[in-house]
Amino acid sequence: MKIQIAIDQRLRLKPLVVVLLSLTGIAFVVAMIRYANGIGAISDLSNSYPWGFWISFDLFTGVAISSGAFLMAAAVYIFELKEFRPLLRPSVLTAFLGYLMVAIALLVDLGHPERIWYMMIHWNHTSVLLEIGICVMSYLTVLAIEFAPVVFEGLKWQRFAHFIHRFIMPFVILGVVLSTLHQSSLGSLLLIQPTKLNPLWWTPILPILFFISAISIGLSMVILESSLSSRYFKRGLETHLLDKLARTIPVVLAIYVLVKFGDLARAGNLKYLFTSGTMSTLFWTEMIIGAFIPMIMFSFKRVRQSENGLLIGAVISLAGMILNRFNVSWFAVHHPDPLTYLPTFMGNVRYLPTLPEIAVSAGIFSAGILAFGLAAKYLPVFESENREAHTSG
Amino acid sequence: MTEIKHYAFIFDATRCIDCRACMVACSVENNIAMNKTRIWVAGVGVTGEFPNLERSSMVYHCMHCTEPDCLSACPVGAYTKRPDGPVLYDPSKCIGCRYCMNACPFGVPHFDYDKGLIDGAFIDKCTMCPQRIDNGQEPACVATCPTDALVFGEREDLLKEAHARIAAHPDRYIDHVYGETENGGTSYLILSHVPFSELGLPPLNSTPVKDVSEAVMGVTIPFALTWGAVLTGVSVGVHEYNKRKEAAGKTLGKAEADGKTEETK
Repeated sequence: MKIQIAIDQRLRLKPLVVVLLSLTGIAFVVAMIRYANGIGAISDLSNSYPWGFWISFDLFTGVAISSGAFLMAAAVYIFELKEFRPLLRPSVLTAFLGYLMVAIALLVDLGHPERIWYMMIHWNHTSVLLEIGICVMSYLTVLAIEFAPVVFEGLKWQRFAHFIHRFIMPFVILGVVLSTLHQSSLGSLLLIQPTKLNPLWWTPILPILFFISAISIGLSMVILESSLSSRYFKRGLETHLLDKLARTIPVVLAIYVLVKFGDLARAGNLKYLFTSGTMSTLFWTEMIIGAFIPMIMFSFKRVRQSENGLLIGAVISLAGMILNRFNVSWFAVHHPDPLTYLPTFMGNVRYLPTLPEIAVSAGIFSAGILAFGLAAKYLPVFESENREAHTSG
Repeated sequence: MTEIKHYAFIFDATRCIDCRACMVACSVENNIAMNKTRIWVAGVGVTGEFPNLERSSMVYHCMHCTEPDCLSACPVGAYTKRPDGPVLYDPSKCIGCRYCMNACPFGVPHFDYDKGLIDGAFIDKCTMCPQRIDNGQEPACVATCPTDALVFGEREDLLKEAHARIAAHPDRYIDHVYGETENGGTSYLILSHVPFSELGLPPLNSTPVKDVSEAVMGVTIPFALTWGAVLTGVSVGVHEYNKRKEAAGKTLGKAEADGKTEETK
């Protein structure tokens, strides 16, 4: 990684930009085919597998990795831990773009994307999906408000930036409440599938587990994006701040592990831990990579204070927790065996995401990275620790 | 008695001959495209050992649950449960999220994966033929069934009838009416001579699968309000604490306070 820094920035960035732009273009074309010929034309989704890669990656992973913003906003504004301010803006930007990507991806996945606003007028109050929809739409607005001062500063409209900043507190609190709600509700989304989701994952406390793991994911994401941006934008790394974040990860994960295994014991499901074949393997992979390894790694001061240690620890932890989201929403969901009663024309027996399906997600993700790069280049996203920014009043 | 009738079906697997006339009748009655269907007959195939061979088939369509999970899951309320039984879907509200398909433990709702934006992709499922019920007729599948494997009527009467059939031939039937209690009770009652799992029916509790999710949704608003109040309290508290500490720090000497406030100066 260090070697790359020596290479001229323009030469290094250009191919990356070209790749990201092409991926975005491909996704656009694939999406047009989908709008013309239907979801079945580009994906392997079927009546047996109504939700697949898009939901697991775009919705579950996308929302989870955008959780850094509400943690940083809570730390800086509610707990007045002002030292974390340099990490706030990048994570708010990540979250804003993250949620925007979730919304765009859902416009491909929804059968009637032009009706997405129906969620605002037709309310079925028992639907978890409605709550998530409302929360995500509201939180996107809150994030736009939280990020607006940065845009105004970039435009040199300091007065607007000051104006928004004076009324920021209610929005911060609203943002934290909305985040708590929908981060946990993503877990609640699977509560309606007690007969389909493997008992290693299905539990009434899924929302609580989702919220705890979202905290771990958010902290890891802040570390990851700081590490990456410090490498690509050649800025200093706030290692002492990241050290403090990394120190809390083992605590959060310890709570997660205790709650998870305690709940398995309560439900009498410990017997499935080693007897469920592939499901057991997936469960242990997720637990070891997502919880145990980062718990051990971030307990060492030497890891927390090394740039590479922080980056590697964050990546491992994220990989494990993202596997958790895939498990809960896809791998561990067992639909009734279609062979038994479905005529063959009604559904595929197996589901394997197609290349165009993955291309849609990849393209939207690429567009997000490009937008982040542009914003970081032209807006005061990265504040130096010593400089006092106007909005930090 | 002016009580509303609650309609239901009986499906008797011992009577079904796998002729699939019900599929044709349904598609004709409801004008369903050739490559789609709302009702399907699944042959389980030959089971057992010679000479005790058995062959069974299952007619599958919407169970018309007393407490439908699809209705609970749909974010925009496209599903309704008519008091007399049918669970109905309103395409004009549907946003195509397919959460109902995930929610239904029977995998009943299906989606137009082959339709783009112009054709409009919708969910489709059995409606219990309300247009026929309202005219005093039986649903098309029942009316056409040549062996009376499908019977239509009031749920309470049909439950009595189902138990009477089991009592009359305990050797022929498994002593259970699937749908009497499953998932909170369904309007599709199934009698069988082979285990219900072989017919593709999932084992379900007497509480609908939506119960836990609805309980969680019930506490969401109170939780959100409490959580918002707590966070407001904490932020005010922290602010006051820091203010006082700062004031105390100024009188006691700057050294300690410096660390906390250097950025705000």
